[in-house]
Amino acid sequence: MKKILYISAFVCSTLMANEELQSIKEQLKIQQQTTKRLEQKLDMMQEAQNQKSINNSASFSQNEYLPEIALILNMSALSRDVKNSDYEDLSIPGFIDSGDAKLPFNKNRGLNLNYAEVAMHSVVDPYFEAFANFHLHPDAFEIGEAYVQTTSLPYSLRIKAGKFKSNFGRINSKHQHSWRFDDQPIIFKSLFGPDGISDPAIQLQWVAPTDIYLMFGTEAMQGTNERSFGAKDSNNLYTGYLKTSIDITDDLCILGGMSYAHGSNEQNGKINPTDIYGIDFTLTQQFGSYSSLLWQSEFIRRDKKGEDDTSKQSGLYSEVVYQYNNNYSLGARYDRILKNDTDLEYYKNNNISTSNLDKYTAMIEYKPFPMSRLRLSYSYDTTKVINNKRKEINQIMLSLNIAAGAHGAHDY
Amino acid sequence: MKKIFILVLFATIVSAKINIDTTYSTFGAVAKKIGGDKVKVTVLANPKYDPHFIVPKPSLLSKLHRADILIINGGGLELGWLPPLLRAANNAKINNGAKGLLDLSHHLPMIDIPTNVSRAFGDIHAQGNPHYTTDPHNITNIAKAIWQKLIKTDPDNKELYTKNYEKFQNNWQKYLQNYDLNMQNCHTKKVVQYHELFNYFFKRYNIKNYANIEPLPGIAPSSKHTIKLINIIKKNNIDKIVQDVYHEKKTAKFISSKTAVPVVVIPHDLGADGSKTLEEFYNNIAQKLCQ
Repeated sequence: MKKILYISAFVCSTLMANEELQSIKEQLKIQQQTTKRLEQKLDMMQEAQNQKSINNSASFSQNEYLPEIALILNMSALSRDVKNSDYEDLSIPGFIDSGDAKLPFNKNRGLNLNYAEVAMHSVVDPYFEAFANFHLHPDAFEIGEAYVQTTSLPYSLRIKAGKFKSNFGRINSKHQHSWRFDDQPIIFKSLFGPDGISDPAIQLQWVAPTDIYLMFGTEAMQGTNERSFGAKDSNNLYTGYLKTSIDITDDLCILGGMSYAHGSNEQNGKINPTDIYGIDFTLTQQFGSYSSLLWQSEFIRRDKKGEDDTSKQSGLYSEVVYQYNNNYSLGARYDRILKNDTDLEYYKNNNISTSNLDKYTAMIEYKPFPMSRLRLSYSYDTTKVINNKRKEINQIMLSLNIAAGAHGAHDY
Repeated sequence: MKKIFILVLFATIVSAKINIDTTYSTFGAVAKKIGGDKVKVTVLANPKYDPHFIVPKPSLLSKLHRADILIINGGGLELGWLPPLLRAANNAKINNGAKGLLDLSHHLPMIDIPTNVSRAFGDIHAQGNPHYTTDPHNITNIAKAIWQKLIKTDPDNKELYTKNYEKFQNNWQKYLQNYDLNMQNCHTKKVVQYHELFNYFFKRYNIKNYANIEPLPGIAPSSKHTIKLINIIKKNNIDKIVQDVYHEKKTAKFISSKTAVPVVVIPHDLGADGSKTLEEFYNNIAQKLCQ
């Protein structure tokens, strides 16, 4: 009996040992499989990692360095109580003679495509950035602006060179598409034409190291603008300006500027000086992120020496814009010629009044999105002479402006 | 006399502080903690306003003008106001690519990165959702990036900055532990919000955002979208309507009146609700959301 017990115990233990061996073998097999799977997974991940770091771009590709490019379109539907053919020959007494007006924007009753503009910006290298605006009118290509600007000069200096709009005054350096009213202020249009002071030039600006914003700038420009300058033998225009701003409260900010420009005009081969003085003042009150009130005014005076005597002329515009929310704003502008001390013989001889040259504009604007804008405006303009008669012009305009693509934010 | 002069000169050198400008106030608070009295911190944007649409007024130029370090949020949040200011401030130290510029979005993982970028989808950010400051855990990375920038810019005070940094991180990790514990008891789990401002916070604490009051980023609410929203709220038993401080509150109130779901106004940045410290800012988010 004992023997049987022993044998069976022995057999049992051997069997159990066998079983244990078997199970260990199986465990090992499973683990080997797991390891294999993990290894495979690791390999795959490694492969993916390698794939990622492999250079997949085409040889010699420079796509990463493409400049920011935007397309700006400006168009309008317009109604005016003057025939298109008469409007072309408008004059502003003492400033613009009949047939001399350049009217690139909103010229026609009916529909206008004012321009398609290609705006580009790119960092050139660690020292320069470049900007360009190619202005495409329906029948003309124009380099609106093209300039480089330094980014790393010491002592808070910045140099800009190329063709650009002068920082003289407030509105002059701004592009038409960023104006708050579609029409150019009368005094700017009268003294400089539709492009304002814009020339091949070099500019130097310095920001003072003070708590209050204080900026000095000076420019040497070619002076090609024939309305005020235009002497051709060499560059003839120099500008200088001082701008300062303070915050009265967190939400109330004022900005003021004084500008001076000295250039030369050419009449019948004789070169004479032109001096221009400008004062500007802007106030903004914020009511929230999307609501504000802006009041902007600018006064300009020009002393232009002619062959016999100096004509002294001045004017101003003052505009108020209330932004109700991120979609709607409304505004009004008043334009006036203040001083018109120049040769007005022609108008006197033809019994055309030259006093009270002013213009009233009102507008309401709808912006569905920051990149698009619809604006309905009405203006009453008494500055124009049409067909040898002072004509009070009424104009209603609906304009659409879009900026598509990579277009940077505008200055204050 | 000479001695006095040297003493005065020495004193001015010693007291010369590093000027740090930050675009938003939360970064300013962290920079103050790490820089201590060796830095002067200036915050550019008023936290009561929409961080996308800060008015680039000239007074900001004189602030940018003297900065040694500029700390920005990045991810496109400052795109609408900072670049023209930087261009006009003529400060070579902080221009794009200069050593003094710190873009914090390069130092933490971004979420909601769109696979498809077009302005047809509204004002979306190609780099991902830029509103990462709403998650208190991101302060850890923000502090680290600021500390590293500071010791690089001002190596003379490296030890002090490191000491401040370590102390701050210690306290912050303790604060986070506590915060996370408290958030476990937060019963608000389903929300709608105005703009995708709080996604980082929601993701961290498993709160589901069902819809936004604005139909597309940067587009004002429409009646059609609002009606859709009311249906979503009713169907999904939404707990709270999350409103920020700067958008109009009319739509949220209207939706609330139709659904009986309460509106909570939550700060998106330190000081937006009057909060004075980082802790107060994040406590206010939790408290208002979970109340």
